[in-house]
Amino acid sequence: MVCEKWLFRKEIMTVGGVTYPFSAIVGQQDMKDALLANIVCPSLGGVLIRGEKGTAKSTTVRAVVDLLPEREVIKGCIFHCGIEDTRSMCDSCRELITQGKKPDSEFIRMRVVELPLCATEDRVAGTLDIEHAITRGLKKFEPGVLAMANGNILYVDEINLLDDHIVDLLLDAAAMGVNFVEREGISYAHPARFLLVGTMNPEEGDLRPQLLDRFGLVVDVNGEKDSKVRSEIIKRRLEFEKDPAAFSVLYEREQEAIRNQIIKAKEIISEIKPDERLIDTAVAISLSLGVDGHRADITLVKAARAFAALDGREEVCKGDVIKAAGLCLPHRMRRRPFDESGFDSAAVHGIIESYYQAS
Amino acid sequence: MNRNFPFTGIAGHDHVKEALLCALVCDTIHSLLIIGSPGTAKSTLVRSVEALVEGKKVITIPQNITYDRLMGTINLELAMKSGSIEFSPGILSQGNNHILYVDDINRMDEGTLQCILTTSQNGQYVLEREGLSRVIISRFTLLASMDPQEGSLSSTHMDLFDLCVRTDRTCDIQTRAEIINRVLFFEQSPDEFICAYEKETEDLKTLLIKARERFPYVTIPEGHLDLITSLCIELGVEGYRGDLALARTAKALAALNQRDEVIFDDIKRAAILTLEHRRHECQSTSQQQSNSHSRDKERESDKNDRSSENQHDTSGISNYQRETRSGENQKTETFSSSAHEMYFDIGKTFEVIRYLDEESWRATHKQKTGRRSRVISLDSSGHYRSFRFPGGKCRNDIAIAPTLRAAALHQHMRDRNGVVISVKKSDLREKVREKKVAHTILFLLDASGSMGVQRRMVAVKGAIMSLLTDAYLKRDRVGLMIFRGSHADLLLPPTRSPELAAKMLKSIPTGGTTPLVQGLTDAYLLLTRGKYALASENKTIVLLSDGRGNVACTNKSPDAEITEVARKIAGTGVKFIIVDTEVGFPRLGKARILADDLKGSYFRLENLSVQRFADSIKEMTNLMP
Repeated sequence: MVCEKWLFRKEIMTVGGVTYPFSAIVGQQDMKDALLANIVCPSLGGVLIRGEKGTAKSTTVRAVVDLLPEREVIKGCIFHCGIEDTRSMCDSCRELITQGKKPDSEFIRMRVVELPLCATEDRVAGTLDIEHAITRGLKKFEPGVLAMANGNILYVDEINLLDDHIVDLLLDAAAMGVNFVEREGISYAHPARFLLVGTMNPEEGDLRPQLLDRFGLVVDVNGEKDSKVRSEIIKRRLEFEKDPAAFSVLYEREQEAIRNQIIKAKEIISEIKPDERLIDTAVAISLSLGVDGHRADITLVKAARAFAALDGREEVCKGDVIKAAGLCLPHRMRRRPFDESGFDSAAVHGIIESYYQAS
Repeated sequence: MNRNFPFTGIAGHDHVKEALLCALVCDTIHSLLIIGSPGTAKSTLVRSVEALVEGKKVITIPQNITYDRLMGTINLELAMKSGSIEFSPGILSQGNNHILYVDDINRMDEGTLQCILTTSQNGQYVLEREGLSRVIISRFTLLASMDPQEGSLSSTHMDLFDLCVRTDRTCDIQTRAEIINRVLFFEQSPDEFICAYEKETEDLKTLLIKARERFPYVTIPEGHLDLITSLCIELGVEGYRGDLALARTAKALAALNQRDEVIFDDIKRAAILTLEHRRHECQSTSQQQSNSHSRDKERESDKNDRSSENQHDTSGISNYQRETRSGENQKTETFSSSAHEMYFDIGKTFEVIRYLDEESWRATHKQKTGRRSRVISLDSSGHYRSFRFPGGKCRNDIAIAPTLRAAALHQHMRDRNGVVISVKKSDLREKVREKKVAHTILFLLDASGSMGVQRRMVAVKGAIMSLLTDAYLKRDRVGLMIFRGSHADLLLPPTRSPELAAKMLKSIPTGGTTPLVQGLTDAYLLLTRGKYALASENKTIVLLSDGRGNVACTNKSPDAEITEVARKIAGTGVKFIIVDTEVGFPRLGKARILADDLKGSYFRLENLSVQRFADSIKEMTNLMP
């Protein structure tokens, strides 16, 4: 038995009830592209955004809330199991399907679920519902943040400061897509497939290598050094603070355009078959860089496809591969601590160039 | 009636007053930090603000606050007894629409600090603790004060403060006398004193209300906005928080002066309040430049180095001994030898033995989490391990299942009062939590001329690199301090990013005399005063030196002074590990003596390596019949 009351934590991450519009963020193209690509193709494995303090990292992530598409889920399921995805359903939904029943479905918006740094383990993984245990004398599972995050974006600000034991929980869930709970007399498992988005300032310390490897894409952001552009950033922010609602209206058309772009990209991405050339390129790059795991190759192919889809194309072009390579490879290069060998972008470009010469 | 010292009655401190007024005018100025020595009216200023705004209280957040009091928690005892879950709000939610005040913020626990600062920026926080899950709106103005002698805040935390001002020491005799007069007057008859400033206070209140109304309509001319951003770029301010704070403050100043447009003077004054604490980044970039400059020098000196190497090999020791003897010529020696600075590469790295005596660490509360050792935590953080009977005071950290199980046995004999399970106080079990403790390790490196002998520094740098790798794997905090010439330099304050330390390692120069006492004292004080004293209870200084100090701080002989200082600081909470780097012949063994005086552990550099250590054991066993 599962308790439902906590699953609907309201997310308000705004000034005066309005989020800063995504389309009003000046520049930061890489960060925006990486986030959109992940929304289009959630199996990319999330984004880590690294950068100096105060460079609109969390503002951008929070702005995504307003763009998220709807997804079709089984009505009444508190884990919001997707109707299509029979492999990663919770036990009760799977039972319905195997019995041959056709459960009702509904459309709900994807959400951004924020995991605060000082969250306790029981709230992250879920635990025994105390109120129920006391008033009814029954054991009941109370879902935690990982349950809320199923099918949604799980966002951790300052992820490098997260306590190790919470990171372990995240890693376990991310690896299997399932959260196993064995605590306080409760034994329970439920699907926990989420898109992990983290922001951090590297000055404050490093991320654990295992966690870093979980992220499909990593973006490094820098502050704008051009005073004109910077003035524009400040001007927009001050205008927003003065009257958030009026400011958002100004950007509504652009917001709508991005929403449509995402919906269209989600439709065509399955049409884009990874061609031989793309796969060969990915393999050649990984081999030349000496990356051990296969995650780099796979992510590279997926990301290139997502970028093509976002652009409305059904064919992956050179630009997509270059962009994808820049976001999924650099953080996988370092195999030893303090290894400064870095990412040789010229060599990678050379390989891509050689495969895509013809076009 | 408010019995605080009136704002208008405080003499001097115009900058601080200006900053406080700006924060009161503009709601998007979220936080203000006041830096100043003790007794410079910091908290008086903060508390006096209460009388200026109707309906706002100044709520103090105590230093040792726990997460549950800060963010709110379930009243678990009540929950267990009546079965209903009630949220008891914490200080952050009680502070909504009020002013929160933290004194000595630099001594606060880092997690708590992070939580307060991000909440002040976001105007809300997410609570995911102990069965509670909600987003709580909390908009407040954060006022904080600190004494810079107690340590500093990290640049990230500094950046989260919109404004930062210093209370200066008042040197003017008349003002000082005036202050004493006023304070005495206030202490004798507070009501009368407040009445005397009543008129001014009322005027200021009206001004504030008008300025708040005007604020949204104040505009910044296009050219002035560019001025703001180029100023920030020039000063190397990271991120846009500085620009935004500057723009907001300039607008607030214009509103306070009853203008509808920001003028140049507003920006000038606002820049002082908003950029000063953010500009030190600029210095670090210039430092990088000097680093790259020194790298050029390094290449040059590498050549010199090779040519002078042979010479060193033969005459190194005698050279050095001469240096030790020449007490009077020390100053000139320093100069001449710093002219021959050398830069050595990082030598071979190796796997490190378990050099920290981990079993002896005692469990203490408020420890940073790390991976080296586990302890039972005394507050309600960490991994829920097992349960026990609560001793004495109930910490509101109840282990539910064991409590229910304990209560279940007695149900048939109890009056259940409508609930299914009746829980009595005797059933309560509390959680035993365990967490991994981090260590703060400060590497104190002797970079004097003697370390250049036989290119010893190469091996030493290799050893530090290995120790850093070890620290990286175990999530310790590491800092790096060197001493040479006449003083000690803190190259890297303790941080969780050993990578930074590794980057710096290469550009450490070698050369000059050995101010061992100075280095030891500075390192010790760093770890025992200010924020590092509180941040983690497990502190270690790893001293890499040959122990041949030759610069004294007082007029005693260097050796006598070292012994005296070492005995004084031995066994006072900081652990010492002495890595003896002495090479050549004759060996003076001074590091060994120092290790004994410090009650620290002693290793020879070579024995730090797992491989070498194993080899030396093998050798010994082979020799045995």
